[in-house]
Amino acid sequence: MIWYVLRRLATLVPVALGVVTLTFALIHLVPGDPVVAMLGDTASPADIAGMRHRLGLDRPILVQYVDFLGGLAHGDLGESISYHQPVSRLIAERFPATLELAGAGLLVAMVIAFPLGFIAGAKPGSAGDVGSMGFAIVGISIPHIYLGPLLMIWFSLDLGLLPLTGRGGIPHLVLPAVTLGTALAAVLARMLRQSIIQVRDSDYMRTAVSKGLSPTLALFRHGLRNALTPVVTLLGLELGGLLTGALITEIIFSWPGLGRMLISAISARDYPLVEGAVLTFALTYVFVNMATDVVYALVDPRVSLR
Amino acid sequence: MAMISKPAVARMLALALCGSVALGCNRPKIGHPAGEIQVDIESSPTSTDPRFATDAISSRINELVFESLVKIGPDGQFVNDLAQSYERPDPKTLIFHLRHGVRFSDGRKLTARDIKFTYDSILDPDSMSPKRAGMKELASISAPDDYTIVMTTRHPYAPALEMAMQGIVPAGAPLPAAAMSAGPVGSGPFRMLSYKRDESVELARNPFHPAPPEAPGAILFKVVPDPTVRALELAEGQCDLSENNIEASVLPWLADHPELRVSNTPGTTYKYLMFNFRDPSLRDLRVRRAIAYAIDRQAIVTSVLHGTARVATGMLSPENWAYYGEVTDYGYDPAAACRLLDQAGYPARHDGMRNLRFEYKTTPEGARLAEVLQAMLKRVGITLNVRILEWATFYGDIQRGSFQLASLQWVGIDDPNFYYMTFDSSMTPPGMNRGYYSNPKMDALVRTGERTLDLAARRQIYQQVQMLAASDLPYVSLWWVDTVAVMNRSLSGFAPYPNGSLRSLADLTIARPGAIEEAARR
Repeated sequence: MIWYVLRRLATLVPVALGVVTLTFALIHLVPGDPVVAMLGDTASPADIAGMRHRLGLDRPILVQYVDFLGGLAHGDLGESISYHQPVSRLIAERFPATLELAGAGLLVAMVIAFPLGFIAGAKPGSAGDVGSMGFAIVGISIPHIYLGPLLMIWFSLDLGLLPLTGRGGIPHLVLPAVTLGTALAAVLARMLRQSIIQVRDSDYMRTAVSKGLSPTLALFRHGLRNALTPVVTLLGLELGGLLTGALITEIIFSWPGLGRMLISAISARDYPLVEGAVLTFALTYVFVNMATDVVYALVDPRVSLR
Repeated sequence: MAMISKPAVARMLALALCGSVALGCNRPKIGHPAGEIQVDIESSPTSTDPRFATDAISSRINELVFESLVKIGPDGQFVNDLAQSYERPDPKTLIFHLRHGVRFSDGRKLTARDIKFTYDSILDPDSMSPKRAGMKELASISAPDDYTIVMTTRHPYAPALEMAMQGIVPAGAPLPAAAMSAGPVGSGPFRMLSYKRDESVELARNPFHPAPPEAPGAILFKVVPDPTVRALELAEGQCDLSENNIEASVLPWLADHPELRVSNTPGTTYKYLMFNFRDPSLRDLRVRRAIAYAIDRQAIVTSVLHGTARVATGMLSPENWAYYGEVTDYGYDPAAACRLLDQAGYPARHDGMRNLRFEYKTTPEGARLAEVLQAMLKRVGITLNVRILEWATFYGDIQRGSFQLASLQWVGIDDPNFYYMTFDSSMTPPGMNRGYYSNPKMDALVRTGERTLDLAARRQIYQQVQMLAASDLPYVSLWWVDTVAVMNRSLSGFAPYPNGSLRSLADLTIARPGAIEEAARR
């Protein structure tokens, strides 16, 4: 497994290179100028030229790209044009908030999905199944932009239980995490239901039941672990959606995360910050997928990592 | 930024909001320390240093922290701030006599040396201050003694007082200010305690600046990008005041809330539809006039903006000293629009449409207005292709003059010399005459207006400018946006400024017993 992990880590280099190259090209291709955004309407052409020179934006694009890669090789992501701070410091300040939100969203998704999926899969067609899958359909259909304010209205405005916005402890985390995690919970619950239905018809389950175990207990003890394999795979793949969902959720809940900073950076055409933030998101996605593969092997002993 | 603010979602949420009223909203709230009020803002200030701040939010907050020689009062006129008086001994000289006893919030005395330093640091090319371009007429600034400032301009320059509205920092304040920390100290009613970009700005009272009794001891400006959430924070009591950033469709619901008060004041923010004169069809005055006649501005103000605007006659609002309203009026008249288009050589086909197709660029926030304009122009046979662009792309295109039709707004027009900036033929991109409008008569008028110091003579000049602008139609004047403030009823004394300034936050009082004492203990 160690060799497997090391090999996967080595693949990070071409992935990172691809991501930064693509991001660099895209952000430079789209119209908009960070200097004009910074200096405003009344700036003279001389001032604009001066600032472009100061920021190194008057150099050929290829030279800028090579310089950026050179800095990256030394762990230097450059300085943000709009924040006047090293990009690495800004990411270090903001990314924990995004990870906290995404982690909490993941937790909420699992806490909701596992019981619902299990109940629905254990007795297909029952009231529990219909109710669980009804939730799943609503959860998948409702967008974050609508669910977030609705939760705010119910739990903050009407019931006064939870704070509306901001970051500061578990009470602040609940509503954004539920907003973020609900759609994923719905997907996971449907997948787990399907997986459990397949498992419960297998021979070893029939054997367990014929030896005297109740069907539910047999499913819980012997079937659930097997049913989890496709769910874990899906969990890894869905993390990308969780991170992009966090961008919207961060705006709705005024959550001071990296996603919100990335959106500001795109508006300001803050090239170094956009590149650094996108790279961070991409590497996180790769890491999580690698972790998923490892968990896959732990959950299912038949899988070996090579 | 408000990328997620979709009108349809806002409408759905407005319904949900109305539905939730019945459940009651007077639950315990997560409050603020006594004596602190929260003001929600839609985006983060970009700079806490008045030498660099150009965006509206930064300017609004900096006005509370820094004083200037003169400032704009609630009636739109210049009033003294750091200056006790000023004189104009000749057309190129302004002499300011300063108030005595002014101190920065760290206790230092404010003298003419600080003022000279502030201006010198902006004028220094190495500073790269975006304010430098606005001071190109300033030839020199000197401080003959601690309480006198002498400004000389390169030419007789009528709007010279606008240059005296620069916030003053202490001599020696470093350049550039680090954007992630509180900026330099000022002598305004508040001092900056903290600045967290994209999160909040916290101000506390300047101990060296007099405050009214029961005034708030601190203000938390919280960045809340989503307009629906800003409305919810007001309803929940988390936010005490929000100005010009609540969607019009939610205002009636907030007005019904027993703890809230909605104040609607005539504003000076000017919304307009801009033509690009490089387009051959739009160069034809008949086409521009037809478009003006085809837009039912009153209907838009009533139904889309819920009455929170006034149909405009020109760039200057009636609150401006140079306003003149007896100009060509373009009331809604689709028949007149069709006649003009026929005369211009664009007859209607059998389906009612004409061989006129324009691209209208806008941002996601402007999508609803775009739909309305599209439908109204279709009635007279004009096809409007709407292109919705992300803000930076949109603004980049506008600044380069790369558009046919677009609507934008000007915020904070004080001096009518703004006509020179936007309509003089020498100000085409990268200047602010983005539609490439050119008329020698307009050039002569706005250039004379800039050099004429006599107020009565200037008023005459700008009367002609406004008539010519309404006749030539480089812009279709849409409306002046009202200043709409929603605030907690416990606040009193907040007087909204027509230009959206938040200066009167310094003078409001809060009706919470013991608030000031508790704030002072903090």
